[in-house]
Parts: sequence; C-alpha cells; structure tokens
Amino acid sequence: MSDRPRGFRGFRRHRLGMIGLAMLGIAVVVAFVAPLLAPYDPYANVTITIADIFQPPSGSHLLGTDDGAKDVLSALIYGARVSLIVGFAGAIISMLVGGTMGLIAGYRAGWLGQVLMRITDFFLVIPDLALLIVLVAIVGQSLRNIILAIGLLGWTGTARLVRSQTLSVRERKFVLRAKAMGAGDWYMLRRHVIPQVLPLMLANTVLVVSLAIISESTLAFLGLGDPRLISWGQMLNLGFTRGAVSAGAWWAIIPPGLAIVWVVLSVTLIGTALEDLLNPKLTRHHLEPEEIVATSPSGAQPVEDVLLDVRDLTVAFEGEQGPLIAVENVSFEVGRGRVVGIVGESGCGKTTTVLGALRLLAPGGKIVDGQVLLDGLDLSRMEPDELRRLRWDRVAIVFQGAMNALNPVRTIGSQIVEVIRTHDGDITKDTARARAGDLLEMVGIPRRRVRAHPHELSGGMRQRAMIALALACEPDLIIADEPTTALDVMTQAQILELLEDLQEQLGVSMVVVTHDLGVVNDACDDVVVMYGGRVAEKGPVARVFREPQHPYTRLLLDAFPTIEDPGRPLVSIPGAPPRLSDLPPGCRFAPRCPSAFERCHEELPPLYVTRSGEASCFLLAEPAFAGDEGV
Amino acid sequence: MRTGRRRFVTRKVVFAAVTVFVVVTFNFFLFRVLPGDPAVGGLRDPRLSPERVAALQERFGLNDPVFVNLEGGNLLESQYFAYLGALAHGDLGTSYAFRDQPVSNLLGTALVNTVWLVLPAQVISIVAGVGLGLFAAYRRGTKVDVGALSFSLIMWSLPTFFLGIVLLFIGANWVGLPTAGRVTIGALYDTTWDQLVDIARHLLLPTATLALVLLGEYMLIMRSSVVDVLSEDYILTAKAEGLSTSRIISRHALRNALLPIVTLIALNLGFTVSGAIQVETVFSWPGLGQLTVSAVNQRDFPVLQGAFLLLAISVVLANLVVEIIYSWLDPRVSEA
Repeated sequence: MSDRPRGFRGFRRHRLGMIGLAMLGIAVVVAFVAPLLAPYDPYANVTITIADIFQPPSGSHLLGTDDGAKDVLSALIYGARVSLIVGFAGAIISMLVGGTMGLIAGYRAGWLGQVLMRITDFFLVIPDLALLIVLVAIVGQSLRNIILAIGLLGWTGTARLVRSQTLSVRERKFVLRAKAMGAGDWYMLRRHVIPQVLPLMLANTVLVVSLAIISESTLAFLGLGDPRLISWGQMLNLGFTRGAVSAGAWWAIIPPGLAIVWVVLSVTLIGTALEDLLNPKLTRHHLEPEEIVATSPSGAQPVEDVLLDVRDLTVAFEGEQGPLIAVENVSFEVGRGRVVGIVGESGCGKTTTVLGALRLLAPGGKIVDGQVLLDGLDLSRMEPDELRRLRWDRVAIVFQGAMNALNPVRTIGSQIVEVIRTHDGDITKDTARARAGDLLEMVGIPRRRVRAHPHELSGGMRQRAMIALALACEPDLIIADEPTTALDVMTQAQILELLEDLQEQLGVSMVVVTHDLGVVNDACDDVVVMYGGRVAEKGPVARVFREPQHPYTRLLLDAFPTIEDPGRPLVSIPGAPPRLSDLPPGCRFAPRCPSAFERCHEELPPLYVTRSGEASCFLLAEPAFAGDEGV
Repeated sequence: MRTGRRRFVTRKVVFAAVTVFVVVTFNFFLFRVLPGDPAVGGLRDPRLSPERVAALQERFGLNDPVFVNLEGGNLLESQYFAYLGALAHGDLGTSYAFRDQPVSNLLGTALVNTVWLVLPAQVISIVAGVGLGLFAAYRRGTKVDVGALSFSLIMWSLPTFFLGIVLLFIGANWVGLPTAGRVTIGALYDTTWDQLVDIARHLLLPTATLALVLLGEYMLIMRSSVVDVLSEDYILTAKAEGLSTSRIISRHALRNALLPIVTLIALNLGFTVSGAIQVETVFSWPGLGQLTVSAVNQRDFPVLQGAFLLLAISVVLANLVVEIIYSWLDPRVSEA
C-alpha cells in the first residue's frame, strides 16, 4: 500500500454519487434564490378566513395552502434554508469537536487519550434524541441553540473514527521515521497525520450532515424548533397538530416530508460514493452460483494407476476488460501413492490450478476448457450434488495459513465431527467425536484439544489441526496448498515431516503446492514447474532437478540454496512474473530469459519430450531433438 | 477460557455501573447548572412574594450547597447528595403537571407501554432484517439484492415521524384503523379477546412504523456482514468439505455474520429510543417518549429529568446485556 492517502478521484464516475451531488445542488440553489422562486412570502402576515385553510392544490397555490392559509410551495422553498443551515453548521461543529477529540485521543494514546475515549463512550450510550430534547428544552428554542446542541451531540462517531485512523497512521513506518528524526508534534500532525485522516473524516462528515438534518426536522416536528422560522419539520408539526390528517390534506404533509427525504438521500448518496472510493468493499463471495465449463470433453480414456489426471486445464477470471487467462493448457498426472510438487514463483497460477481442478475458484473464476479426471470421473463437468459428495471424501485440501481456513468461532473438534458426519450418515456423534480425538493424536495434538478454538492454538498446531481435518474422511488424494508458508523454519520442518510420515503410512496420493524447492526435493516424487499460468517443465524430481531443461527451472534452482553445495553463489532472477492483463505474446518467460531468441518472443513453445521429462522451450527444438516435437 | 469470560463480564458490569453513576450525576447537573434551572425558574414567577420564595427555597433545599458542603458541618449536606439519597429510595420527585403524582409512578406506567411497542418492533425487524439481509447477500447482484439495498437507503433517509404520519394518514383515511392511544376510549368489551384485539389494532401502525425503520438498517448491515463472511477462507474450506449450501450458511456463516448485528443492536438502542419518541408522539401512544415530549411542552422538569434518567439507564443496561451475549457468540472477545 502506498503511503499517500487515496483521494476522491473517480467520484465523477460514481453514478449514484453524482446523482446525489446533483440533488443536493438543486436544494442549495433553491435555498439561495428562495425569494425569487417562491410565489408568496411565507413570512408575511395575511388576514385569513376559515375557507382559505387547507385549500387543495390549485392554479394560484400549486401545492395548496396550510393550516394558516399560507402557500405550501413557498414555505417549502424557504424551508430549505433552515434544513441546510442546520445540517451543515451542525456538521461543521461536530467535525471540529469530534476531529479534535479523536486526533488528541489517537495521537496521545496515554491517559489523556483514555479519558477522552471514556467521555466518548459515555456519550455514545446516551440516547441522543432524548438528550437533544432535554438540552433544547432547557436552553431555549432558538436557531443558534439548536445548531449548537445538534453539533455538540453529533461528534461521538467522528471522534471514534478519527481516533482509530490516527492510531493506525501513528504506527506507520514513515511517521515513526519522521518522529525519530525529531519532528515536533504540531509538524507531525500537520504534515503526516491530518492529511491521512482528513479524507475519511470528510466522508464521515457527510453522514453527520444527514443526521443533523434529520435531528433538526425531528426537533421541529416535536415542537422544539425555532418558532420564528419556517422549516420542513415545523411545517409537518403544524400540519399534523392542526388537523391535516383528519382534513385529508395530504398536500400539507407529503411535500415537506419528501423535501427532507430529498436532501437526506442526496447527502447519503454522496457519502456512500465517498466511502466506496476510500475503501472499496468486497462484493463477491464463495457461494455465488458457478458456471460449469461449456466445451464438450475430449473423451480421452482414463489411464491405469493414475488417480488424478488434469488435461489441458484452462481457467479464466472476469476482468474489467474481458476475461483474464490465469491458467492455460495445464496437464499433469498424479499416480496412486505418488507425491507431486507444483512449484513456481508467486502469481504463476499454482494455487489457481489446483483450486480450479476442484472447482473451488475464487468468485469470478471458471474453467473454460480442459478436463479433470479423478479415478476416471470427470470433476470438471460433474453435477454439483455429485461433486459435493465426492469432495473431502476422496479429495481433501490442506489450505495455506490455517488461521482463516478454520472457522474461528467453532471448536476444532466440532469442525472435524461435522465433516465426518456429512460424508458418513450412519456414524454416531460419539464415534465421530472419538475419531476426531484419534485424528488429533495422529497429527501430534493432545486429544483434549478437540474443545479448543483455532485462536487458542499456535500457528504450527493450527496447521496440524488442518491436516487432521483433511484426514477425517480418509481421502485418496490430499492437496496441500503452501502447507508451510507463514510458519517459522523449525515448525515448517516438523509439518513437512508429519505430512511425509502420514503419506507413507496411509499410502495417500498428494499434490504439494509450494514455492520452496527444498520441499519438492525432500517430499515429492514428481514435479510440475509453472510459469505465467503454463507448465514450464515437468517430470520426476530426481531427474528434473539434476538436469533441468527449461531455463526457468535452472534459474529457480540457482536461486535456491542446497546443503550439498553450500559455497555456490545464489543468483536471483531479475524481474517478476507477468501480470494476467499483460501477458507477453510468445513464451511467458521470454522477457526474463537470458537465452531467449527471436522466436521466443513471437510464438508459444509447445511441450517437448526431454531426457528428464517434458519442457516448454524452443531451445529444445534444436536439430538433435527434431521429431520429438509436441505431446 | 472460563476465567477469561468471567473477567470480561466483570469488567463490563463495572463499566456499566460507573456509566450509570455518571449518568445520574450528569442528569443532576444538567438540570441544575444550565441557564434554565427549573427549580429557580419556577420561583421566578412575579406573583410570588419574596417571603414565599424564601420558604419554597428552604423547603426544596435550594439554599443548600449544590455539590458538596464545604461550609463546615457534614460534607454530604448538599443538594446533590439529597438527590442521590432520594433516588436510592426510588423517589424521583413529584410531577408539576399531574398534581401529586409521584414521577416514579408515571414512569412505571409509561415504561410498560413503551416496552409493548418497542419489543415486538425490535423482534420483527431483527428477524426480518437478518433473513432478508442474508438472502440479499446470498443472491448478491440480483434484483432482490438491488431492491433490498434501495429499500434500506430510502428507510435511512425517511424521518421516522414522517413515515409514521404517512402510515397514519393511510390507516386512518383508507383502512379505518385507530389513530391514537392504546385502547378505544370509553369502549366496553364483551370478552378479554375483544380487548386484546382492540389493543392490537392500536399497536399495529406504531409497531409497523418502528419495525420498518429498524428493518432497513438491520438488513443493510446483515447484507454487508454476510458478504464479508462468505468471502472468508473458512467458507471455502466448508465448500471444499462438501458441506451443503444450507449447512454452510446456517453453521458457518450465520453466527459470524450475526456478530456485527449484535453490536449494531447495542449501538442502536439510542436510535430505537429516538424512534420510540417519534412514533409515540405521532400515534399518541402513552409511553416514555410521549411522556418526555409532553413534559417538555409543559415544562414539567421532574418528569423530564426522571424520563431522561430512565431512558439513559435502560440503554446502558441493554448495552451490557448485548455485550455479554456477544462474548458468548464470539469466544475471541473475552480473551483479548
């Protein structure tokens, strides 16, 4: 994340925000030129007769007359002034008070901050309309008092927001650095803290404006407005208390009410837009309906001894400018009892490949082509119900970073029991519970920990619990997605050893997704090296690592330390994997490849059979290999 | 684990107790110190003779020091401690407007009526809001979702009292529902059932108004909360485990998604009070809100002071209950 605060750029493209701005603009203009627009002066004294009261809309009174025989339309136009003045003046007071309190409480988090936050907490639990009524009743109903009371009651939300934002800014590196260099408090606030806090505070102010407008109209409706002024709340109060309902005079009630809705809605739309721009919210989730691959299967026959057969898997995600291909024509096989490592830098499509194979892609992703055969059954085109029964029963996953992969509000045991009972309807709760305990023991967790919640376990323990969960239904295949990432080195080794032991003991097949070549070397039989969403090279680990054929594999190995040759200098690969939206036309690796030549930049290389397996590189298309082309 | 929970609850109870004490003190000074001092105000009546004013001041203890007695003798001989003492006995003074009625009696009756109004509205809006929010999130991006969002936005922009008036207008002029009060005045009932039906008819519109306003907000929060939860990693795990969609929602998403709703209900209690004040005013429902507003209009300060105190303390206590429920829903909270 950049240190610069996100501004409000892009507001113009936010449709609802622009609608809100236009609506507010109209209200402001009406308030300014009220005397020009209003057909009558609502403040003028007129002599009336009973017959003039609550006159329905007509040519001379477009919105009829009210309880005082005055023109509703004119009152409506003048009423905009009070609403907007109270709304904005009140919000400015709230923002100044709340902003100052929040800044101080966040910047001086010591006793002063504590005291200020206690005061804020206190005002947060006081019912604000009740306090507002009491205050205005005591100090008197003038416009000034109403603005002050509303302003001084609306600051708590702003104070909380500004405080938490200030606290987070204070801990950022550049602020700490400036502080270490001896910057003064005022300088720090002015140069670093306030610019960071201000945008969020502005978005919040908009909310405070709408609250202030609603508060003013509510007060006026309850008869606590400034009696000398015409406001929308006041109009509703007079209409309501003086019989507009029983007279059926909707025109004295509906217009002022809708006027309030108009202004509050406009401000709310603007506020929503600002908030969207500041922190774009997640809008997609895992339970959205999935699209099943449309192309017909190739009809290839299952191969003996192959448990998982991924053929030409192609996965795309929805992008702003059309679909983005994340994984393209990936094929590999996992033999029974074999361990396959998928390796490559971050962003090369490793995880997308395995999640895609199981149809567990993030929202917006789908398989566009290819086939995934598990024991001859095509997962890619299976009915969702059938697929659900097969999941975890035959293929389980050890997810990366087990903290969020386990439900934080349920115990480890209940999560294991749940999956066992889902796939085995006959098993009793007690048997399932006993089995959960056995599984935990199997992975080295004392069985009494079945009652523990995920946050009560250490990172390593959580990963062990995740492995126990994966073993719950005795699957044929376990997919371990970066099983050791985010763990310390010692724990990494232990988890890896555990996985190896269990694999040997249970004879289960495994796919290990990792960027750690050491893991592949120690634990895997076969390796698939991926780059830019495609297979760069694959084959038995022993052979590929001894004689890498693809320059990328070679460079990866050079970048990795080995125990056999500790003196060898490590070489990093300059550059980074390509972005999905900007894939090179030829070989994905060509821009970073030291051996690339013209053809590499123009065509995609096919997989060539090599001494150690298969690799996708034109260097292998030399005369010596001619005729081996294609698979 | 257990002790963590107990410590958490103790801490919250202490905070609530301190808050109640501060509310009581705040309430006392609010009415004494601000320019409109009610006790003094009442004595400004020009028709009162100076002797009579002095006698009244003596009788109400207005000559005593306000906060603590620093003029020698007992430190606690002050208006503030006299107020605390009376409060401890449930004595909130006597109403100006309703002659000789103890404030506590008025408040008691009003509180019961308010609970009759607020409780059904809360239950309806929470159940419907959670359900609709869940559905809108699950069917994100569809017409149902857009409809739910627009409804929430409109409800947010609609002042409660205005919605009340509109419903009242429709109910009174076109449906023939009663427009004011708790029961039909002067009605004689053949059976208890008839009486209940009459009360229900009076309750219908005010409850609907309050429920609609609260519903919009609960639905909006529930929707965004469910979308957040459904994009969590553990939902992917549950999906990978082959759990059915209904089970994922009921056992994995709902509880986590309810957490923000619980917090919102707590934060919203003040909002509920404000809604009740408006709805009671519109429908002349004889609850705490209407009592507050009429106390303001009649400058009946003992009642106003008592009603404000009761509202504030109810919110503090309800807040406490919600926090305890939260700690039970989310075991992580009590261990922090």
